Amino acid sequence: MQLNKRQFLVGSAALAMAGHIGGARAASAISYWHHFTSQSEMASLLKIIELFQAANADVAVTQENIPNSEYMAKVSSAVLAGGRPDTAMVIAERFADLTAMEGLIDLTERVNGWAGKANFPDNRWTGLSSNGAIYAVPAFAFVDWMYYRADYFEEAGLAGPPRNFDEFLQASRKLTNPSKGRYAFGMRAGAGGFKYVIDVMEAFGSPIVKDGQPAIDRAAAIEAITFYSDLFLKEKVVPPSAPHDSYRQIMEAFRTGQTAMVWHHTGSLNEISSAMKQGEQFSTAPMPAGPKAHVARVAYAGNGVMKEDNIEAAWRWVSFWGQTDAALALLEGTGYFPASAAALQDQRITGNPIYSAATETLKFGRLPNNFVGAAGWSENVVNPAFQSVLTGQSTPEQAVDRMIQGLEAALR
Amino acid sequence: MATLSIRDVRKSYGSVQVLHGVDIELEDGGFLVLLGPSGCGKSTLLNIIAGLDDTSGGDILIGGRSVLDLAPKDRNIAMVFQSYALYPTMSVARNIGFGLEMRGVGADQRKRAVEDAARMLQISHLLDRRPANLSGGQRQRVAMGRAIVRDPELFLFDEPLSNLDAKLRVEMRTEIKRLHERLGTSIVYVTHDQIEAMTLGTKVAVMKGGYIQQLDDPRTIYERPANMFVASFIGSPAMNFLAGRLVPDSEGVQFQASGVSIVLPTRNRPVDSERPVVLGIRPEELRTVPRNRASIMGEIDVVEPTGPETMVTVQVGEHAIIARLPPRFAGRRKEPICLAVDPASVNLFDPDSGRRIDI
Amino acid sequence: MLSHRRFMTTASSRYLPLRALGELSETRYWMYLLLLPSLALILLVIAYPTLYGMAISFREMRLTRPGLDGWVGFKHYVAMWSDPVFWIALKNTVVWVAAAVALELSLGLLAATALNRDLPGTKIFAVLILLPYFLPNVVAGHMWALLLDPRLGVINDLLVRIGVLQSYKAWFADPNTALAATILVEAWHGFPFFALLLLAGLKGIPEDLYKAAAVDGAGLAAQLRLITLPMLKTVIAAAVILRVIGLVNSPDLLLILTGGGPGDATQVLSLYAFQTAYKEFNFGYASALSVVMFVTLMIFAAGYIRISRITKGQGDD
Repeated sequence: MQLNKRQFLVGSAALAMAGHIGGARAASAISYWHHFTSQSEMASLLKIIELFQAANADVAVTQENIPNSEYMAKVSSAVLAGGRPDTAMVIAERFADLTAMEGLIDLTERVNGWAGKANFPDNRWTGLSSNGAIYAVPAFAFVDWMYYRADYFEEAGLAGPPRNFDEFLQASRKLTNPSKGRYAFGMRAGAGGFKYVIDVMEAFGSPIVKDGQPAIDRAAAIEAITFYSDLFLKEKVVPPSAPHDSYRQIMEAFRTGQTAMVWHHTGSLNEISSAMKQGEQFSTAPMPAGPKAHVARVAYAGNGVMKEDNIEAAWRWVSFWGQTDAALALLEGTGYFPASAAALQDQRITGNPIYSAATETLKFGRLPNNFVGAAGWSENVVNPAFQSVLTGQSTPEQAVDRMIQGLEAALR
Repeated sequence: MATLSIRDVRKSYGSVQVLHGVDIELEDGGFLVLLGPSGCGKSTLLNIIAGLDDTSGGDILIGGRSVLDLAPKDRNIAMVFQSYALYPTMSVARNIGFGLEMRGVGADQRKRAVEDAARMLQISHLLDRRPANLSGGQRQRVAMGRAIVRDPELFLFDEPLSNLDAKLRVEMRTEIKRLHERLGTSIVYVTHDQIEAMTLGTKVAVMKGGYIQQLDDPRTIYERPANMFVASFIGSPAMNFLAGRLVPDSEGVQFQASGVSIVLPTRNRPVDSERPVVLGIRPEELRTVPRNRASIMGEIDVVEPTGPETMVTVQVGEHAIIARLPPRFAGRRKEPICLAVDPASVNLFDPDSGRRIDI
Repeated sequence: MLSHRRFMTTASSRYLPLRALGELSETRYWMYLLLLPSLALILLVIAYPTLYGMAISFREMRLTRPGLDGWVGFKHYVAMWSDPVFWIALKNTVVWVAAAVALELSLGLLAATALNRDLPGTKIFAVLILLPYFLPNVVAGHMWALLLDPRLGVINDLLVRIGVLQSYKAWFADPNTALAATILVEAWHGFPFFALLLLAGLKGIPEDLYKAAAVDGAGLAAQLRLITLPMLKTVIAAAVILRVIGLVNSPDLLLILTGGGPGDATQVLSLYAFQTAYKEFNFGYASALSVVMFVTLMIFAAGYIRISRITKGQGDD
């Protein structure tokens, strides 16, 4: 914050002077809302601001950190009651809601006239477009994959990471040893756990939404929920704390050696690498394939403009994130994958075997479900419904019915 | 036999000693008043008698037996408090009978006892009410009823009248006196009001700073106070003090101060040399006399007629003294006045120790 | 009237513009004029938002679907009737609030009684005991989330060491313990509120009452029942109402500890309304939930005040 304030002051002072002397370009200060919180994320953000400032001395960026869980509440309040920032971070899961509440400004023309557009294949834009209009510039990607304990696998006599759900189950049975306090899989069923519930449902062949209509295949979904919840209920290859385990807990469990496998995205690589040895203790693999589909998410996150006031400066800031310099600063600092295809060619990615699972996932990975109300349905319906199966309060059938009803209500 | 014996009772809180070896014997049926300004230790002493506070030394005997190891409820005492301490949720009847209820007395017997007590205190019509709906005087009667009904060996009163207005206070004072005479139970009564002490007590213990200054019957305390503190604490208006000298005289001894010259008869021993003393004169002992018989000469400062009498403040030398004179006194401010006093009624005190001097 | 006229003429000779004001200041309307600014402020700050919030509950207002805006009458209330989560949340709210308030009241009374003894050092304890209340809900929530953590939690460690537990327990993962655990955390966090108010109340009880009880032979339990509780009745009533309102309305602790889970085991109305508003952006339905909370609270408060008045009123006619 301090650094930023200084930059802001220096920036505005410089611009004020420039205004007096030349009067050529108007000085502008823009605000930026994001939900970066960790030290590495913040350091990378400040680095990007610094790079941006070097190239755009007349624009001062004021960043404001909002905890991820409160992000949408704050943004929607700003839309509803006023007080929008100039620019804001937009992750794929929230894109539909943000555009639906008219929180983002159409950037199509500017994007089309932008030299950097070519660096981004079409699928980068899909998640950030609505009805053919582009509302945000892709910046980085969360590529879902699996972390596994290479040493535990070796100990259990397993040749390699499981490639499909069958192998996943077999391996899980071998890796679990409750007397040692060791469980195969760090299931996330607390906050944010819906993500993988939906993944498994799709992997069993049930779509969620098709053409804006609810499309859950009840039978397939029940099969999926049964399989997934049985890992906890019947197979007991999941720690007993799973119904409440969220990001912090599954990471803690994996780092402390309680679990042998955990599903997450590339963003947590730095954290895990700092706790154990890459290649020896842990390694990465693509998500295992389901019986009907191989599902892993590739979620492109970008930055959008929320108000017109400083649109010129705002556009320069959001498009700056799409440049290779900025993308690589972020990758170096956090391990977040670049969205730009140009940046993906960088040797630091191609030359590192730990990234090969991500590179492979990019070939088959799919975008997160992107429909209006997705976030609310996932958090308020899918999460409690699945938790109640784990805690024995409802059957997979009841849970799927609740999800279907909730989805219909959300889309109605 | 004494109902209550207080033997060398001491009490200290940390390093602060609030009672310094108090000794009191109260005869059966006696009425002991503990009198003193706030902080003198009188309430602490009462709490110690009740068992609500413990001693740091000494012994308390009630009915001849040491009660130090007994809980308050087992000391066969009943207590009346300044704030009445009625249980807010209970009816008057239950309040009165509560002590009996706690002791497992049967309902019928309890009812009879409560009704008797209520009749005696003229509160029979209030038995179903709650304390919140009673006047101060009524609450006080209920509080006394609660004590009476128990028929204890000893009543303890902790400033019971100080929350009442002046008129009611006089009324209740009479009531307490009547009650005492009727029941004949011994009472220990704490107050800072000297009138209550004088009217009620058969024995008054004047206390200050944790010491008993004087323990006597009220008359003696009034007429022959043991020291200047007792002399000034008892009586209203307070005793006049005149600092002067005792000078040997052919007839005995003479008190001299500026504007004052009184010949005092000696009873015990002659005074052979001059010494400084403080002379104490009760205001009612002063009377106006013709100039040639005056022993005190002064100038009228303030004249305050009260109806039955007139209070006159007189400037005598550097002292201001008050004389209680007949109602039709006609003097005016700045006029000279000549006063005389019965030499037998005056008190002499040592100016250093404040103690009484008997000559 | 006469003097008023005279005042007017002398005043008007010099301060013509103030004449009307001066005249007005002599009438009884002046009072209302002086009240006007604060009345306007109250209307603006309290009445308007409340009524606006109620109005929203009769509208469709989903931020993500601006096209659907419009009046829908009692639609949300009808939907609530058949919404199983609403009923679970209502039941949990009652359990959560009642248990937390009961615990906080008992702990608060205990603490206040202890602090009311004028022993050396009680002043320091009085401050120490207030500490939990100084912590913001968010901080207290995160702290307890860690203390009760199934892997790192100190509480688990302690319980295993003293032999109460065989192995670490995931308190918030089990619907049987999740609500109880959050109630305990809330009780820890909220009891100083009661301790503080009850201590003030205790200071107002004449010590003579306890002395009288001791002389009468009433034990500690009888003293509590016959003296302390009746004398604290007003304070307790006020504190309970304030706390109930506070608890019903604030989802933050549950939001941090459980998010309403597992399943809906710890879902309460305030959290449900919060999630409906800020995760689904369905402000209409969230407002309807809030109105139900509001009305329930009003009924509770009115009933509660009445009950505490009736018992007091028996003596007050």
